[in-house]
Amino acid sequence: MTDSILRVCDLVVEARSQSGVIHAVDHVDFSIAPSEIVGLIGESGSGKTTLVRSILDLHERNVSIIGGSVEFSGTVVTDVDKGISAVDTIRGSHVAMVFQSPRASLDPLMTIGSHLREVLKRHQPDLSREEVRKRSLEVLGEMSLDAERVIRAYPHQLSGGMCQRAAIAVAISTYPEMLIADECTSALDVTSQEEVVEVLKQLTASRKMALIFVTHDMLLASELCDRLVVMKSGKVVESGPTAEILANPREEYTKKLISAVPRWVSGSAK
Amino acid sequence: MKARLAALLNLRGWNLVLVLVGVFIALIALLAPILPIADPSAQDLDATLRPPFFQSGGSMENLLGTDQLGRDYLARLVFGTRLTVSIALVAVFLGAVFGSLLGIIAGFKGGWVDAAISRVTEAQLALPFILLGIAIIVARGQSIGTLIFVLAIVGWAQYVRILRAETMALKERGFIAGLKIGGISDARIILRHVLPNVFGTIMTLGALEIGTMILAESALSFLGLGVVDPDISWGAELANGKNYLQIAWWLVTFPGIAISTTVLYVNLAGDALRSRYDLRKRMF
Repeated sequence: MTDSILRVCDLVVEARSQSGVIHAVDHVDFSIAPSEIVGLIGESGSGKTTLVRSILDLHERNVSIIGGSVEFSGTVVTDVDKGISAVDTIRGSHVAMVFQSPRASLDPLMTIGSHLREVLKRHQPDLSREEVRKRSLEVLGEMSLDAERVIRAYPHQLSGGMCQRAAIAVAISTYPEMLIADECTSALDVTSQEEVVEVLKQLTASRKMALIFVTHDMLLASELCDRLVVMKSGKVVESGPTAEILANPREEYTKKLISAVPRWVSGSAK
Repeated sequence: MKARLAALLNLRGWNLVLVLVGVFIALIALLAPILPIADPSAQDLDATLRPPFFQSGGSMENLLGTDQLGRDYLARLVFGTRLTVSIALVAVFLGAVFGSLLGIIAGFKGGWVDAAISRVTEAQLALPFILLGIAIIVARGQSIGTLIFVLAIVGWAQYVRILRAETMALKERGFIAGLKIGGISDARIILRHVLPNVFGTIMTLGALEIGTMILAESALSFLGLGVVDPDISWGAELANGKNYLQIAWWLVTFPGIAISTTVLYVNLAGDALRSRYDLRKRMF
């Protein structure tokens, strides 16, 4: 299948702790098409983060992939049976990632401009100072940030929402084909969440970039995503187009998640 | 000029006092040979064990009196500053470089690298310092170089433990993972991102360690294992003075005051550095 940019086949991820071994990701199949936005939904501990971290093989020592394969743009980057582990080739250049805590995603001692320079220079060492600056301003502008100010700012001088958008700017500065946003709105207030979702929407549309949006917020997911994948206890329990899942959830668990979204109630209380 | 310098470093009140005291100690150590004081090694057997100027029998010629060989005690204390402070500084520097590096590597790499470094560090910390000092000095012979080596060995383990913990905490913050995803090499992450973020801790720990080193040097010199005549250090003076404790109180009192005030100063300065460089304070 060449129409998907990312294919995860039969992935099993094991997490070892003192209380025993669990399969944090349990035989998951999952794929995403170019410029598609997929929402990965599930409660805490359902394996969402472990799944996306597995794509980039970013695990702590007590977690490891013990089965299955990951394929990116037709190239196998991880395959346990064949012993392939080539995630380095896609990190940063093809797949980027942003994290939950906006401030922790940035080095507190470096300006946003230095962050961008660090990443840009790594991927294109021959860029001149002016080119780096131009690219940085461009990408910050794309994130609806006041580029001239933000490029000189340190993380503590920005609000949470601005930090998160700056972190996204750093992540996408190398024009990756796919972005993984791991609960990147969870630590923000509602208006900042909206800003971040808005720029993600624009970004995926203008760059034709695929996006995996990990969240437990059904409302944000329904607003942003083309397709939803629902996880529970390390397994994918349901997946399909957003509208379909919202209108007609099959699994009891999905119904619960949907009903957990607060709604405006007009007139008398329900 | 002074006001401008203070504004430049953003120093006010207490911090300014601390910096000025530090500059004062450094100047005494550096300028000892050109200060208007007597030659610390010149003996005068007609004027032995003279008391300080304020006691009867003392004179303005020897402000802090003389020792058993008639040497001017003020001059000896001033010259003692040089060796005492520089031995402490060099030992702290060596310990800090070696210990910080190991600590950061252990915290960053984790796994067996961390286990190996941590076990060696714990083994080091389990050895009593004086015993270890005696063993090394006896084996290698007494010299200032050996003394510094012994002190550096005493110091490094502390850095490993604290910087390992700091680095592990730092690693949990997303930006290190972000840089890894960005394809930045481990060496570059350590040098450009981890080191600057823990530098305040290294400085603070270093400042506090200077006090420990001065005390350790004094202790070894007091036992006759550190600095010996004709070299002058506060600890060596203290050791010498104890033989005359009952007839010449100033021989132990003044080096004791010098050691304790310097150690107190270094600890206060270390505390000030800590509050200035506190990571948590700066971040939020």
